[in-house]
Amino acid sequence: MAEVRWLNSLEDALSRAKQEKKPVLLDFFNPG
Amino acid sequence: MGAVTYPDQKVAEFINTNLVPVQMLFDAKPYADDFNIQWTPVVIILDQDGKEHYRTVGFFPPEEFIPSLLLGMLKVKFDHKQYREAVDRTDRLIRDYPKSRVVPEAIYWHGVANFEDTHDPQHLKAAYRRLKEEYPSSEWTQRAEPYNLLP
Repeated sequence: MAEVRWLNSLEDALSRAKQEKKPVLLDFFNPG
Repeated sequence: MGAVTYPDQKVAEFINTNLVPVQMLFDAKPYADDFNIQWTPVVIILDQDGKEHYRTVGFFPPEEFIPSLLLGMLKVKFDHKQYREAVDRTDRLIRDYPKSRVVPEAIYWHGVANFEDTHDPQHLKAAYRRLKEEYPSSEWTQRAEPYNLLP
C-alpha cells in the first residue's frame, strides 16, 4: 500500500521542489 | 483527510509522483500565521519559490482530491504564464476525471489559458458555450458569461 512521503520542513520541501521542478503540496492538519 | 484520502493508493501515488508533500500542524509557527490558517484541513499548492497559487479548505474524498490537485497545478502554470502547459493540464483533468466537481472550473481555465496562449477570443466563447450547455447552473458558467458577447 502506497503512503504519501511527507516532509515536515517547508524549507526542505522548497529545496526539493527546485531540484525536481515540482510544485509543493502544503497540508495543515489538526490531529485532535 | 489523514484517515481516508491520503491513505488512498491512487492519491498517494499521484502526490508522490507529481508534488513535493509537506505536512504541518495547524499551529506550527511561524507558518500557520504566514499562511493565515484559521481552520483545517487546509491544502495549499505552492510554486518552487514558496508562493501560494491555490488553496482548499475542508475534506475532499479521494475521487475529488486528485482533480483538485490538478487544478492547483494548472494554476501554478497559468500564473507563471506557461499557458500551453496549463491547457495540457486542464485537458488531462477533463479527460481523466470527467465527473469531478472541479470540471466546470477546469473548462473555464482551459478557455482562458488557450486565449492567453493564442490571443484568439474564440477560445473564451467556446468555454462559455460548453459551460452553458453542460453546466448551466455552475458559478463558472456565470463567470464566463461576458465571453459570449465577444465578436
